[in-house]
Parts: sequence; structure tokens; C-alpha cells
Amino acid sequence: MIDNELEKKLRPPQLDLKPYPPKIITLANGEEMIVREVRRDEVGILLGTVQPLMGVQKDFYDIVAARMYAEILGWFTYRVANEFILVGVIDGEIVGIVNSRLVDEKEGMSFHTIAVKRGLRIGAQLFAAKMEHHIEFLGNEEVHIVAESPIGFKRWMIEYELEDRTDQYPQLRHELGGIPTYTLTRPLYDAVKSAKVTGTRPVPPEKLASADNLKMPKEYPQIPGFKRGES
Amino acid sequence: MIDFSMYGKKKPEVCAHKCPGCGKLYYPAPMVCDDCHERRDPAGVEHKRWEKVSLSGPCTLLAWTRLFALPEGFDKKYLLFGIVEFENGLRASGNLLVDQPETNMKLTAKVDVIKEDLGEEVFGFQFVAPE
Amino acid sequence: MGRKVAAVGIGHTVFGNLSEFDLVDVMGYASLNALDDAGIRGKRDLVEQVFVANMGGGIINHQTGIASSLVSRIGIEPAMAELVENGPASGASALKVGYMAIASGLVDVVMVTGGELMRTITGWKGTDFVATLLHPEAEYKYGLSLPAYGGMFTRMYMERYGLTERELGLVAVKDHQNGEKNPYAHVRVPCTIDAIHDNENAHVINNYVAEPLRLYGMCPVSDGAASIILCAEDSPKMKEFTTHEPIYISGISSATDTHCVHNRKDPLILDAVRLGAEKAYKMAGLTAADISFAELHDAFVILELAISEEVGFFERGTSKDALTRGETAIDGKMPINTSGGLKSKGHPVGATGVSQVFELVKQLRGQAEKGRQVKNPKHGMAVNFGGFGNNVVTTICSRGGV
Repeated sequence: MIDNELEKKLRPPQLDLKPYPPKIITLANGEEMIVREVRRDEVGILLGTVQPLMGVQKDFYDIVAARMYAEILGWFTYRVANEFILVGVIDGEIVGIVNSRLVDEKEGMSFHTIAVKRGLRIGAQLFAAKMEHHIEFLGNEEVHIVAESPIGFKRWMIEYELEDRTDQYPQLRHELGGIPTYTLTRPLYDAVKSAKVTGTRPVPPEKLASADNLKMPKEYPQIPGFKRGES
Repeated sequence: MIDFSMYGKKKPEVCAHKCPGCGKLYYPAPMVCDDCHERRDPAGVEHKRWEKVSLSGPCTLLAWTRLFALPEGFDKKYLLFGIVEFENGLRASGNLLVDQPETNMKLTAKVDVIKEDLGEEVFGFQFVAPE
Repeated sequence: MGRKVAAVGIGHTVFGNLSEFDLVDVMGYASLNALDDAGIRGKRDLVEQVFVANMGGGIINHQTGIASSLVSRIGIEPAMAELVENGPASGASALKVGYMAIASGLVDVVMVTGGELMRTITGWKGTDFVATLLHPEAEYKYGLSLPAYGGMFTRMYMERYGLTERELGLVAVKDHQNGEKNPYAHVRVPCTIDAIHDNENAHVINNYVAEPLRLYGMCPVSDGAASIILCAEDSPKMKEFTTHEPIYISGISSATDTHCVHNRKDPLILDAVRLGAEKAYKMAGLTAADISFAELHDAFVILELAISEEVGFFERGTSKDALTRGETAIDGKMPINTSGGLKSKGHPVGATGVSQVFELVKQLRGQAEKGRQVKNPKHGMAVNFGGFGNNVVTTICSRGGV
């Protein structure tokens, strides 16, 4: 049995975050992806989505999936002061996940980005949505970023013109491992917003309802022949 | 005769090459003249070296792009490039330093540092708005 | 015109990210697919000569002597073997050299295999690698790349002929429709004109890469290989090839143009495309009107339009009208890029020219997948565009007896 007194002492003081207003993006193939925040009661579906990718030893899926799995659990079990998770959903099915948290109301700490469905730049759209949430809805002035994939990281560094804050170590350390830390500031965000951030709000209610009951992906392009229940 | 200027600061210029046979200008340099078939000898031993003629100044923008797909070594969000035509009819490609370019606009080609390679400054065309 | 040369075996790998594999293994896989298709896996010694098409093995994969490596990997020594490098047109150039080897009477059976592994390096390094074909002093050093010339060419064309970004998007939509049905294609996801142009999200989904060219205006960077076995029709060895109807190379030629794009009198006129095509038509005794379908080098979607005009399918500036009327769709009068083109099928530079002719043979045999088979084709044309149009190879393939 859980010792409630001890458990209370273990939990960091919770910082409540403002909600992310859902949006809808038409992807290149015409499919509509709804981007919305997940609820605590959806954690099982998230974990089930991420878990098969922990065995994909390519394109950093294994480490990103394993770390994201732990981060989601950390949020569920109140081991972090706060965390938000956004999902991309097509026809009710999860196609990508991003997560992140706040250090305080000024600073965001970006965690991970994972795309299940490929070839439609879902990762790029979800990463942009995560930055949108930090700067526009949570009101952060800056977001600190590192990445597991050197190519993905370089792409963000160049496309968002992120500021190199590596020299501020150890005062500034990214929670995922310290340095190098790059930072998206509000002015940098404003400069790329029109080219990077898209989506229509509000999402028509019937479309939003289609993303209400999240489903785990049936297929993973990263795992040929995948069948749920056998992994 | 040793060319002592080699040891000084390099002159920032890009040159056209003039055929000694008929005077036709080329950029960049060919090995033989299209018109009079005079050969160019870069060493100036068996055939003539061709006179270098500094190329810069007023030009017209023929085509341009804002390029986001830059090669390794140019870690920028984008660079602008253009093809221009000089008053003498020669044309060149180079960096375009005008943020809202328009085809056929009048520009000035200047020569400046376009990148550093192993600590050495590399000079090339920059097309800018005329002063 | 020398001897009649038939394509008697064709092979292909999937195009995409094959960076976990070895370059010569990938080429070997396509080669064995071609040997299997020709029905001579157990009689590989029929192949007397191999020409390998590859552009960047020495730079990207740090590997040289690739042709010698390939013959050994697929066990066909002592066949003669050489590498042919002609930038992104290496594939068709190798085929042309293969044709010449047979036509000259030197050999009867030639294998031409093109392959490239470009995904083993980052996209930035890949862009740099392809850009090394530009003029080092007058172009390359500035950071100019092939997409930059694609962008500038597109803008000039739009300004002269009134082509719109929407029409450019329609080329991609058509190519992806075909590529979706091609099991070898790199990007088998369709795209819609609403999503990549009309929709309010489109400018982000389909972002600029080299203005005015957007993401869906450029081919992906791909790995892959393709292989074709050629045999002289008059050779006694021809009777060994009984698995498929032979398809003939009825015309093959090429032409070059100025190294620097800026030195072309009219940069919108692609002399190397037009002159190469004229020679190929003459050799085949055909005209543009005889061609049933074509594979045109759409590394940038504008090139599909510009090449289709330069080879005489349409008047200058009017290919966009043919496109919007559906004439270049799979069921149109002149289907173009039935394989998905470079845009959807992908562009492993050394493999592309061989892959285009693979598609011609497949279509002419009537073996294309459901939904992308051209109806009763007689002659197919492939244009493999090297440099920014400074070395272009045109191939015409025909069914026998037509």
C-alpha cells in the first residue's frame, strides 16, 4: 500500500499549466491531423503507442521512445512538477507525440518529439506546435532544446536559428543531459512563426470528436509486419 | 620576376578574361576562344596568358532565388542568389544582398568576402542595390 | 546504324533510405534481379561486359573501383567492367556506352547497372556533393546548388509563360498518383492540390526550398539501384533470352551545353535536351508524335514541363495546359513520368537513368502495376538530365515489329 504521507513529500509542488487549444492541419496527402493535448486518463494509450518503438534500433527511435515512455510515466506518477503532452491524431489514431515542461513561467524545457507515421513531416508540425504552446499559450520567453538525433537537431538549429547557450553551462543545463543547450527565444519564434506554425482553430466539433477516443497505431512503418499484441 | 604581391593581402576582385586574339571577354575563363580559336595558356609558356579584366559595377538581375537547401558549410536559414548581366554583356552568378529582389532590377556587383575557407578569405560577387 | 540492341532483362531495388546496406550489395541486388528477369542467373557467364553508373561512390562512400567490385560480388568474372560517371545522367550514359559496345561488334551481351547511396551522409553534405558538378569558381564556391538553379529557372519560366505555383503543384500531384502504385518508389504517399497549394496551411506544409520552388517541387534524396541486360539481336546468344518479349533501344543520343548556366544565350532554352532528342528521333526514325509515353527527369517539377516542350511534345509555354487538361496523366494522350518520376520514385543519381529505361521496358512489355499501365504503348522516351542541363541523354525504346 502506498504511504500517502511519504508520497506527498516525494511529489514536487505541481504547477498547473494553461491548456493548449486544439487545432487541425491538412497534411500533404489531404489527411487532416488534429493536434491536441492529452489527458491523464489517456496515458495507457500513449505508453502503448510508444512502447513498440523502443525496439527500433534505427533513427534514434529506441532512445527517444524509451525516454519519452519514462517521461510520460513520470508525469502520470507526479514525479515532475509539470509536463504537457501533445498528440497528432488522424482518424482517431495517434500519429505522433511531443512532450515538454516548464522550469518556471519564463522558461520552457523541451523534451521529445516522435513521429509514428512518416513521409508527411508530422514531426516538424508537432515540434512547431510544442513551441507554439510554450511561447503563445504558456507565455514562456524562451524554450531550451537538445535532441537525440544530430540531424534533427541541426535542422532545428538552422531553420529556427536557435541561440547557442552552451557557454552558459553549468548555470543553464538542459534536463536531458546538460550541454549543448540551444534556445528558442520569443523574437526567434516570432520570426519563423508564419513559415513554421500552422493549423486552423477552432476545430469543428465533429472533427474534434473524432480525436476524442485515442487509438494506438495499427501499423508502424518502422516495424515491418507489426501486429499489436505480439510485440 | 617574383610576384611579391602574392604575399600581401589578396586583392578582392573577380576577373573576366580577354582573348588576346580578338579581344572577346569571357567569364569564367575558357581554354580557347569561341570566335578566333586563340588558346589560353594559364602558365603563359607555350601560348599567351590572357589579360584579366576586373569585373564589377552596374548590372541587371536576370534571375534569382531564395535558397533554403544550402550545402554543408553554409549553416544559415537561407541565402539569396542571382544571375546578373553586366553592361558589357557578360553574365555571372553570385550572392544577392537585396531582401526583396525583382527580376530586371538594376544592381551593383561588388566583390567582397563570401566565406572563409581554412582561415583564408574567399572573395566573390555580391549583388547589392545601387547607392 | 550498327546492330539492333534489345533489353532482355531488367532489375530494380526499392528506392528510399538504404543507408544500412553496402553500395555494391545494393547494385548487386538490382543486377541479380535483372539476371533473374532475363532467366540467366545460372548462366551469368553470358554477360561479357558490365558498365556501372555511379556519381558519388568516390566522394560519398569513399569507394573506388566499383565496377570491378560489382562483377566479383555477383560472380561474373572475367567479364569486362568499367565505371561511367556523368553526374545525374550517369545511368543513361552507361546505357549509351553499353549500346555502343554492342553496336560496335565488340560484345554481344552487356549488363548496365546504376546505383547510388546518398543517404549515408546528411542532406547538407548530399547537397554539397551534387553541387560539386557546378563550376568551382563561378558557381560552387558561393553555396549555389542544383536546387538554386532549379529555383531560378522556375522563376524565369513563370515570368515568361505565366506558369503558376498551383500548376507546379499539379505536376507533383500527378507524379505521386503514379508513384503511389509503383512498388519501387521512394515516396508512395499521394498529395492533393488542396493540401499543397489551396489550403490555408499549405505554405507551411509545402514550404519554399528554392523560391519559387517548394518542397513538393523537388525530388527526394534517395538510395537505390537499377539494372538492364542488353543483347545484340543478331547474336546467337539472343536465343538464351526467352522469358520476355525483347524491347529494343531504337534511339539513344546525348548532347552537352555550357557548364555555367549564366553563359546560355537564353537560359530557358535547353539545347542539350533538344539536340539529344533530335538525334534520338532521327536514329529511331520517329517523331515526337510517335512517342506513347515518357520518363522525363523531374528532379524539379519545372523540368518535366520544360523538357516535354524541348523534346517536341508541346509548344513552348503550353505544357502546363496539357497538364491541366490531364494529357500527361496515366490515361492521357501523352502520359509523363508513369513511374512517379524522380519526384515520387526518387533520385539515386547514378541509378536514375537506368531506372527510367527500366520503366520504359516494363511499360512496353505491359507489366506495369494496375492503375499505371499505359494502354498499348509502342514507343517510350526517357530523358536523363545531367548537371543543370549541361549533359543530357535521351533514349527511345520500342516494341519489336512496330
